[in-house]
Amino acid sequence: MKVEQVNPIYSASKEVFRNMFGWELKRGELKMVEDIVSKNAANVTIGVTGDIKGVFLFSFPENMALDIVREMSGMEFNEIDKFVASAMGELANIISGNAMNEYFQNKYNCDIVPPQISVGENKTFSSASDEVLKINLKTSDYSFDLYISVNENKQ
Amino acid sequence: MIWKDQYRIGVKEIDEQHEELFNRLNTFLKIVKNDQPLEEKMDKIEETFAFMEEYVDVHFTAEEAIQKKVGYPGYEAHHKIHEKFEKDILDFKKEFEQDKYNEDLIMAFSGRVLTWLINHVTGEDQNIAKYIPEGGVKDES
Repeated sequence: MKVEQVNPIYSASKEVFRNMFGWELKRGELKMVEDIVSKNAANVTIGVTGDIKGVFLFSFPENMALDIVREMSGMEFNEIDKFVASAMGELANIISGNAMNEYFQNKYNCDIVPPQISVGENKTFSSASDEVLKINLKTSDYSFDLYISVNENKQ
Repeated sequence: MIWKDQYRIGVKEIDEQHEELFNRLNTFLKIVKNDQPLEEKMDKIEETFAFMEEYVDVHFTAEEAIQKKVGYPGYEAHHKIHEKFEKDILDFKKEFEQDKYNEDLIMAFSGRVLTWLINHVTGEDQNIAKYIPEGGVKDES
């Protein structure tokens, strides 16, 4: 997996969290994994098509998802209901959409498909490549995982 | 939904409209999220949705007029973002009219709109501020 295939989604995540919540994301552990098994409860899969093909999986712990939606709405939530799940799906959708612009600048013409949201811990997700990069991202209070499973699909 | 001063872009008309848009969406979200059975609050949901939808159009029109007036170079791209959002609202409205008591549909739309609006105001809209002349936009009428 090339650096230019990883950096756009990482930098878009940092920018969106900074703009929307004033949270600075710091990179934690970075490792290659064989399978996508998310230990967190709020999982959003975004499919990527075009010159890069594959999936991004955003894996947020429940307390982080609830806090993000509380921060935006000013309302309290006790569980990841349809409202919270959809709000988190849109967050991942926005980050991935912004990343597409940077991929384009790196000469990759690609697009995303609407988010798929899955609620529940320890779920396994299909990867789209032999290599899956797992990036742990930290805020001052929370930690979540971004899985990148993409292949170059240029003719 | 909480309006924050940090969301301001420094243009009085746009900032006031953003705040009003937050207020209207907030009213809608509070109705959607309260514990009342859907049947009992349906009239309120329809009323507050219409109230919000109307203001989205008013605001986008006014904001795009200001963008044109100051020669904002991102106008076309910004207009497309507005159009896509208005289509999302229209698509929801069609689905909602066919399936009014689908609570999941209403919840999913509400959550999506909440995130979209905050990102739009804290992200794309902030770029307009750089093109506003000192002393603000003059009214030529």
